[in-house]
Amino acid sequence: MLAGRGRITRRLDRYSIRSAHQLRASAQDKRWPGWAVVVGIEVHAQIKSREKLFSNTWTSTLSQDSNTRVSAYDAAFPGTLPKLNPSCVELGVRTALALEADVQRRSTFDRKHYFYPDLPSGYQITQHYTPFAKGGTLRLPKSATQVRVTQIQLEQDTGKSTSAAHGLTTHIDLNRAGTGLMEIVSEPDMRSPEEAAEYVKTLQSLLRSVGSSDGNMEQGSLRCDVNVSVHELAKPGQLGTRCEIKNLNSIKGITVAITSEVLRQIQLLENGEKVRQETRGFDEDTAETFSLRSKEDAPDYRYMPDPNLPPLLLSDDYILSIKSRMPDLPAVTEGRLRGMGLSQRDCEVLMAIDSGREVGYDGTLGQGAVAYFDTVAQGRDPKAVVNWITHELLGQLAHRQDTFTQNAMTAAQMGDLIDLVQSKCITGTSGKLILRHILEHRSTSMPTQLVRELGLLAAETEDDTLRAWCTAAIQALPQESQLVRVGNERVLNRILGHVMKTSKGRANPEAAKAMLLSILR
Amino acid sequence: MLRRHLLNCRRINTASKRISRHYYSTTTATDAHANDKDYLNALVYRIHEVPEAQVAQDAPLKNLLVAIKDNICTAGIPTTCSSRMLKTFVPPYDATVVKLLREAGASIIGKTNCDEFGMGSSNLWSIHGPALNPSDPGNASESELELRSAGGSSGGSAAAVAAGFCDAQVSALGTDTGGSVRLPASYCGVVGFKPSYGIVSRWGVISYADSLDCVGILGKTVDYVRQVYHTVNKYDESDPTAAHVETRDQAASICHEHMVNWSTSGRLNGLRIGIPQLSPASQEYFPSELSSAILGPYRETLRCLAARGAQLVSVSMPSTRYALSAYYVIASAEASSNLARYDGIEFGLRVDPDGPSQIKKAGDVYAQTRSLGFGPEVQRRILLGTYALTADAFDNYFLQAQRVRKLVRADFDRVFRARNVLTTGGTEASDEGVDVLLHPSAIQTAPALVHDPEKGAYRLEDSVSSLDAYLQDVLTVPASLAGLPAMSVPSGFGEDKWPIGVSVVGQWGCDDLVLRVGNEIESLLAGSTVDVG
Repeated sequence: MLAGRGRITRRLDRYSIRSAHQLRASAQDKRWPGWAVVVGIEVHAQIKSREKLFSNTWTSTLSQDSNTRVSAYDAAFPGTLPKLNPSCVELGVRTALALEADVQRRSTFDRKHYFYPDLPSGYQITQHYTPFAKGGTLRLPKSATQVRVTQIQLEQDTGKSTSAAHGLTTHIDLNRAGTGLMEIVSEPDMRSPEEAAEYVKTLQSLLRSVGSSDGNMEQGSLRCDVNVSVHELAKPGQLGTRCEIKNLNSIKGITVAITSEVLRQIQLLENGEKVRQETRGFDEDTAETFSLRSKEDAPDYRYMPDPNLPPLLLSDDYILSIKSRMPDLPAVTEGRLRGMGLSQRDCEVLMAIDSGREVGYDGTLGQGAVAYFDTVAQGRDPKAVVNWITHELLGQLAHRQDTFTQNAMTAAQMGDLIDLVQSKCITGTSGKLILRHILEHRSTSMPTQLVRELGLLAAETEDDTLRAWCTAAIQALPQESQLVRVGNERVLNRILGHVMKTSKGRANPEAAKAMLLSILR
Repeated sequence: MLRRHLLNCRRINTASKRISRHYYSTTTATDAHANDKDYLNALVYRIHEVPEAQVAQDAPLKNLLVAIKDNICTAGIPTTCSSRMLKTFVPPYDATVVKLLREAGASIIGKTNCDEFGMGSSNLWSIHGPALNPSDPGNASESELELRSAGGSSGGSAAAVAAGFCDAQVSALGTDTGGSVRLPASYCGVVGFKPSYGIVSRWGVISYADSLDCVGILGKTVDYVRQVYHTVNKYDESDPTAAHVETRDQAASICHEHMVNWSTSGRLNGLRIGIPQLSPASQEYFPSELSSAILGPYRETLRCLAARGAQLVSVSMPSTRYALSAYYVIASAEASSNLARYDGIEFGLRVDPDGPSQIKKAGDVYAQTRSLGFGPEVQRRILLGTYALTADAFDNYFLQAQRVRKLVRADFDRVFRARNVLTTGGTEASDEGVDVLLHPSAIQTAPALVHDPEKGAYRLEDSVSSLDAYLQDVLTVPASLAGLPAMSVPSGFGEDKWPIGVSVVGQWGCDDLVLRVGNEIESLLAGSTVDVG
C-alpha cells in the first residue's frame, strides 16, 4: 500500500519536474495581461532540387505554363513507379545537420490518403511513422532563446487547383505535384507572435544558407501551419486547447494571425466558453482566423507504409561526407567575420544580403555579399573593404534600385579600386566616381585603366593646377571667400566643393584646403 | 513471319476445335484466322502485324510468340485491366518486361483476358467476360462440352497457352499477386512460374498490391518459360523494389552450390524435397477443402521423384493456416491505396456528375466515376482495404497481417537449406533443410461455370460458395507473402480428367533451382501422361 503510493508520488514529481523543464516560462505581455501564449510551427519548405522527389521531371517556377512539367508518374498514370531523388535526400540531410538534428540511419516512406483533384494518386508520400531526422534546435538571436525541432520529414508537394469564384469548373495544374518538401515540425517553444515570426525568419535564412530551399514565402516555397494556445500566466502547468492555423504565407501574416487568434481564444475563455480544438484558416483582409474543421471532422488519412519504396538507409560515411561539404551556417560566418575585425553592424548588413542571395538547384549557392567580401578582402584591410562594400557599393546599388545579384562590379574591380585609393593614387571622391561609372556603364575595365581614361589621377599637392583650381574657385565665390578671409572657416567647404567639382575629384581635398587657406589669409 | 505462325496455328488447331460455336465471342475481326479460338475469350486485343525488319536475325526470342496480360502496359495498345475504368486507356509507354521481350525479338500477339485489376481466381470479374478453359478431357462432343473456368486472375494467359493458339512456340506473361499465374496454369494444364519478388521489373505493370505483385510467365513447357524468364529477369533501376545485381548474384551462387550436388548425376540424389505440414500434429499439410482427387496425382509425383533418388522430408509450416487471411488484408489494403488514382481526372473513365448538387465536394465527383468504373469484386476489396487502414482497424488488421507475413517468411527460412539473402542476421541454413517445397497448386481442378441467362453472365457453379472462391488461393498465397519463386507444373489429371498442377517453391533467388526441379517433374511425367494441348 505504502510502496504503491510512494511510486505514484514519485511519478507525479517526475512529471511536474519534466513539464516545468519543457515549458519555458512566459513573460507578462502588455497586449494580454495575465495570459501566456504557446506557439508551435510546422514549416513546409520546398526543396530546391532540379528534379522532383520521385520522378526526373524538372521542378517548376510560377512563371511556367500550367501542366508543362508533368510526367506520367506525376499524373499517377497506372504502371508508373516512384524513384527517390538522391539530391533531395542530400538537401534534407544538410538541413537536418544545420538544425543540429539527429539524422536517422533508417527511415521509411508512408502514404497519406485523401481524395483531392490536385493529388493525382490519391495519396501523398510522406514520412509519417519514421522521419529521416529527429530532435534539432534553432537558436533565435533576438529573442535570446532556442526552439526545439521535433522532426523533419521528406514528402511530396501537391498540384494546385484553382476555381473561379462561383465557377463550376476547377483548373488543375500539376507542375508542382511531386516536388520535394521538407516538413519541419517545432516543439511548442515559442511564447509570442514575434518569436514565431523570428523562428520562421531564422529558419528561412538557415535554409538559404545551406542551399536546401529558397524559402520564398510569397512564391509559396515556404508555408507555415501554426499551432496556438493560451493559458493563464499564473498556471503554467495547465496548457490550453490548441488551434491550428493553416497555410500562412508571409511573416506578417504569421504575426497578425497569431495575435488575432490569441485574442480570440482569450475572449472565449474570459466569457467562460471553451476553446474547441480545430483547424482554422486566416483571412488576410479581415486579419481574422476562421474555422475550417473541428477535431471531430478530422479526416482519417489511412497511413500505410509505401510498399514501393524501400527504407531510406543513410550510412555514417554518407552523413559525414555531407557534413564536410556543408556551406557555413550563419552563426559560423558571423563569428569568422567578427574575427576579421568587422563590426556587428557590418556583419548584419553583409549577412542580410546573403540571406536573400540566389539559391541554385541541388545545393549550389549563388555568390552572396559575404563571398564577395571574402574575395576582395584577401590581402587587403578588411575594414576598408567592408566600408567600400557596405557604404559605397550598397549605397549606389540601393540608389539605382538594383539588388546585389545585379551588381556589375566584380570583386577584382573592387579590389583594384580600393588599392588605388589606399595608395593615394586617386582620391576617395575619384574612387566613388569610378564605382558609379562601372555600375552605370556595366564597364568591365579595371579601375586602373579607367583612371587614365577619365583623367582622374590625383593631382600633386604643390601643383600649379591645384593653385589654378583654387584661384578659380575663389573668383567664382567672392562672397564665401570674403567670409573665410574674416575668419568664418565653416564656409571654406563650399569653396572646396567648387575645387573638387572643377577638378573632377582629382584634387586632394586636404591639399586643396591648405592651398585655399594660404591664398585667402 | 507472324502471319505464317498464325496460319500454322490455324491448321493445327482446326482439328482440335471441339467446343461448340455457341461459345464464340462476338468479336468482329475480319481476318479469318483472327477468330481462331475466340470462343475461349483468352485474347482481348490482337496485334496482327509485327514489323519484321526490327527483329535482328540472331535475336534470342525471334521465333517466340507472346501474349501479354492486359494489366501490363503496352505502348499504343489498349491496356484495360479488364476494367471499365480503363476501357479506353492506351498507355504511352511499354512496361519494362514488354520492352525486354521486344528487344529479344519476341512477337507480341495480343493482350490477354484477366480478372479486373488482377482481383479474382476464376477470371469471372472481367468486362470482357470470362476466359474459358480449353483443357477439357477431349471426349466430350460439342453439345456435351463442359464449361470450366480458366482460373484467375491470369486466366486469358493460361487459356491462350493451353489452347495453342499458334504453334508450339507460345508463351504468355501474367501477373501473380497471390497465385494468379500458378492457379490458372494448374487449371489449364500449363506451366506457370512466379519468379522471386524483385527479380522481374514491375515498371509498367499496373499495381494491384505492390508488395506482392510479380510478373509471371506461362508456357507449354518449362523450357519456354525458362527462355522468357532469362529475357525478363534483368535489373531495372526504374523499379524501386528491384533486387540489386549483387543480391541476385549472391542468391544465385548459393542456389547453384546446392544444385551442384544433384544436377550433374542424371539422378536426383541429394535433392531434398520438403512436404509441408500445417503443424507437427497434423499428418497432412493440406486444408480440409483440398479435394481428395488432387492427392492421388500429387502422391504419384512424389513417388516418382523419390524413385529418381530425391529425398522427401516432412516439414512443419505452422503459420500457413493464417496466410490466406493475412494475404487478403494486405492485398486489399494496398489495392485500396493503389486504386485511389482512378478518379476520372487525369486518365481513364470519367462519369460526369448529374448536376451542380454533385460538384460541391471532390468526393461527390469521384463517386460517380468510381461507382460505375469498378466492378463488384474490386469495390469489395477496396472497401475491405480501406477499412483495414482506418485508424481504428490498422493495428488489428493491417499490422497483424504484417506480423503473420513475417511468421510465414520465417517458416520458409527455417525449412530451406539455402539461406535467405534478403534476411539480415537470419538463421544460417543447415544441411537439415530442404531445397524446394512441393505441394498441390490448387485444392481442385478447374471449377465449372454456368451461364446465367437472366444476368447474361457466367458464374461459378452453385456448389461453390463465394467464400470457396477465395479459398482457391489458399495453397499459393504463402509463397506470395514470402516473395519466393514458385512454379506450377502439370502433374496429371484429376478424377474428372481435368488437369492438375503441382507447385515447386524455392528459397528467394533460387529461381533456377525451381525451374530445374520443374523440368524434372515435367520429364518424369512426360511418359505417363497424355498431351493436353
